[in-house]
Amino acid sequence: MAFLTAHEMERYDRQIRIAEIGKRGQEKLKNARVFIAGAGGLGSPISIYLAAAGVGAIRIVDRERVEASNLNRQILHWNDDIGRAKADSARATLARLNPATRTEAICDTITPENVAQLVAGCDLIVDAMDNLPTRFLLNKTAIEKNIPFFHGAVHGFEGRAMTVIPGKTACLRCMYRGPIPQETFPVIGVATAVIGSIQATEVIKWIAGIGALLENRVMVYDGLAMRFTEFRIQKNPGCDHCADAAEKG
Amino acid sequence: MGVQVHIHRTHRVSTDGKEVVQAEGSCVGECLEHLVKQYPGMKEVLFDQKGNLRNIIEIYLNHESAYPDELKKTVNDGDEIHLTFMLAGG
Ligand SMILES: [Zn+2]
Repeated sequence: MAFLTAHEMERYDRQIRIAEIGKRGQEKLKNARVFIAGAGGLGSPISIYLAAAGVGAIRIVDRERVEASNLNRQILHWNDDIGRAKADSARATLARLNPATRTEAICDTITPENVAQLVAGCDLIVDAMDNLPTRFLLNKTAIEKNIPFFHGAVHGFEGRAMTVIPGKTACLRCMYRGPIPQETFPVIGVATAVIGSIQATEVIKWIAGIGALLENRVMVYDGLAMRFTEFRIQKNPGCDHCADAAEKG
Repeated sequence: MGVQVHIHRTHRVSTDGKEVVQAEGSCVGECLEHLVKQYPGMKEVLFDQKGNLRNIIEIYLNHESAYPDELKKTVNDGDEIHLTFMLAGG
């Protein structure tokens, strides 16, 4: 367990003042190792806020290069970064924001073959992907490794988030009925900002061991109606991902 | 009285822009049949060519997932059905 330096006490002063976080919570953040799948619309606010909050280590994976059409929402990357690997751009942005966060940015595709190695050593997985097959792969991996999985997704002005605790809660796969055709989705940056911030909030709460997580409930946000709606979901005893997962530790 | 069916924003082109549609039935499936009778465009939104619920569609009954066998779930007067779909964007 690494303790806080005088500089860190100053840097994180405003959140250490939150009773639920305090010095102890800040130390937990410093010792946390977070895996973020995707350095795009969701991965941008997630990684930025987690680095700003003083998470000790972030491993972020993205296979793509920055394109002009990313810049309406992917605030890790700026105009000068067009053409650059998102992993490189993410590393540079996060290093400028908080050099104390050890950022590993990997330019790779997450596959069934490499996923276990990619997430190795991390305490949790944050879903910041842009497609369902990889989301399901990460969900399955989190359950196999018995680490939490923080799901988020967006469409237009809308988005949703839920948190999966293996062995305890419903997972992303619990309501699965079959494959869904992939298409280019519409999205505005403020929607990924809201959902990514909710995911980052859940991550911080889980690391610090505080608050009530989005367990067995999906939070749906509609930016146009400006309304949050909560839906309850149940663990499916026949789920092909989580049925056999037993709660540990 | 029946049930209130909440239509997702992207599907409202099929319901003349209506956000909430009243429907009658004793189960979710019957309510959706009644919805389709009023707004035939919703048929293709919800069902594939074989008449099965599309994989992407999610149904919540009184804010609780109706999965599995969504269409068979019993409804009562005053219940609320939310029709939405699984999001994939990031
Ligand atoms: Zn499951």
